[in-house]
Amino acid sequence: MIIMKEGNKRIPKWSRRVFVVAGGTTAYRKWFPEYKIEELAMLAFRQMLENNDLKMDPLEVKGLINFCVYGEFADHFQDQLLCESKVHDYLGLDPLYNIGVKTGGATGGSTVLAAASAVASGYADVVLALGWERMDEVDTRTGNMYISTAACKDFETRLGRIYSSYYAPMAKKFMDAYNLSEETRAKVAVKNHLYACSSPYAQQPGKYTVKEVLDSRMSAWPLRFLECCAMSTGAASMLLCDEKTAYKLTDNPCEVFIAGGSHTLRVADRRPQEIPLLPHETKDMYKDLMKPGFRYPGFESFLASRMAAWFAYRMAGITNPLEELDLVELHDAFTISDIQTYGDIGLRPYGQEPDYIESGDAYYINPNTNKPGKCPANLSGGLIGTMHAVGATGIFQGIECMWQLQGKYDKFHGDPKIWKQWGKEKPKDWQSLQIPQKKKMQAAWVSHAGVGSHVTLGVMKKAW
Amino acid sequence: MSDTPKEVQFIGEETEIMENDPSMVIKWPRSLVHRHTYGKLTPFFKGLQESKLMATRCPNPKCKAKELWLPPRAHCPDCHADMKWEEIPQPVIATIYTFTKVVYAGIGLELTTPYWQIDVEIPGACTIFKGYLKYGEPKVGMKVKAEFRKDKPTNTILNMCWVPHKG
Ligand SMILES: [Zn+2]
Repeated sequence: MIIMKEGNKRIPKWSRRVFVVAGGTTAYRKWFPEYKIEELAMLAFRQMLENNDLKMDPLEVKGLINFCVYGEFADHFQDQLLCESKVHDYLGLDPLYNIGVKTGGATGGSTVLAAASAVASGYADVVLALGWERMDEVDTRTGNMYISTAACKDFETRLGRIYSSYYAPMAKKFMDAYNLSEETRAKVAVKNHLYACSSPYAQQPGKYTVKEVLDSRMSAWPLRFLECCAMSTGAASMLLCDEKTAYKLTDNPCEVFIAGGSHTLRVADRRPQEIPLLPHETKDMYKDLMKPGFRYPGFESFLASRMAAWFAYRMAGITNPLEELDLVELHDAFTISDIQTYGDIGLRPYGQEPDYIESGDAYYINPNTNKPGKCPANLSGGLIGTMHAVGATGIFQGIECMWQLQGKYDKFHGDPKIWKQWGKEKPKDWQSLQIPQKKKMQAAWVSHAGVGSHVTLGVMKKAW
Repeated sequence: MSDTPKEVQFIGEETEIMENDPSMVIKWPRSLVHRHTYGKLTPFFKGLQESKLMATRCPNPKCKAKELWLPPRAHCPDCHADMKWEEIPQPVIATIYTFTKVVYAGIGLELTTPYWQIDVEIPGACTIFKGYLKYGEPKVGMKVKAEFRKDKPTNTILNMCWVPHKG
């Protein structure tokens, strides 16, 4: 088992407060030949500078930037090494320094973590965190093969060559261990495809039934195509800064905290260990789970997600996530990994994850009560409905949280001009997914790689 | 200079235009060969050639875990000591922990689809080892026996598979 010593358990702490003030995104598409990737990065960058009600001219805001952090998952998708330099130059940010961040599916979250650290340390006052992926140079099966090289090359990749086949055995184990039905899994897909219908950026919007999800083409049993994330091309951009600059730039800054955890890329190598407890949990809660033969995290849970939450909640002062978070954006690469995460980040105790969906807590409007869901998840449409341009994903979901806290969901999703910009017409039955505004609000978002190899959890708090 | 070329010749291939509107999209072929080393894991892959399943264990008496690793590692993650190799006793009988039926796979898969990918518990190992079931239908808890494929060896993990074990 893995043993953490006291020094390993130090709670991360910023040396000064860090804020997020603006965000931008492109639409996401399966095939996006109209633009080169640096051109898409420019469109996200422009939306960030121009449309976030900043109290300064966009080029003056640009003139405050000290440092840039870029997220890109895989060089081989584009056959372009050091794309960071191409994007940085294209955005006109030379000769400032920039670094590239790569942590698989968690690249976006890690990019924000690196950017926030630069602000917190005083290295910079204003930092750009921008991520992208161009996954459309190759066909889908080649793309799946490329992604599967983010499994262990020697012991896993050649046994599947598709990531769904590494999550599917976890789904089987989880279904047996925690009484998860196919229907509950399918409900996650129905929900996220549906929420994507409200987003002008979405690649896979759709009004599906549970039956349609379960009747869709099989990828790796039990996971169907409609339960799997999009393979996307697009870019997202976030501006982080120190306290003084934040209030100078906007009346609606959000304070940000973010931390991560990691665990072996090979699910095979997850040695059993004790459950690290979140602030609201007790050992007693899990005494029934700890039967002989039970392995934690086993194939059911993600130690990396648990540790990201373990650190980030303490860092941000969250003592009970379900009670204190107003919304979450989770990394729904697959329905099953979304559900697994509910336990890891404490939206439900381990073993009761399906209840987060079945109770209606995860919905914009709880289908059981017709009242707002307690802590809605993935109103952006998530990875299943809207996008997974890997390097952009953790940034995109962060800015979706920020826009929700700022009360700007409609501004960024309901404006017919944005729909038109991306060659779409705003649906006649378009529905706002803006959550109700309160004085104190906070959101969390998860960025997740591999089969739980790297995970970040960020917390954003309304700071006005 | 005497070696100044007279005129440079283009010796590449003509490139196919795949789309022209709204953007020009060209075909960009890639076919490459890598040299991949197994480093200190070489005994595992040599073991497969000899129908042996080789694992590693930490020999450090001060190390708490001393677990048997499969996939093997050359160094102990807990104390960093050089690990010692051990052969899993034959026949290698394992228990299915979980599984999936892979229907749709990425390009280049060297197995016919659909196939059963299985994760197995091997007695003594601290890990759950991934492989595939050559025939039959998996169930959680079912016993399977390791088989080593000798025809067309790839000298990869695909040199071995599992078959149902009765008894
Ligand atoms: Zn050791």
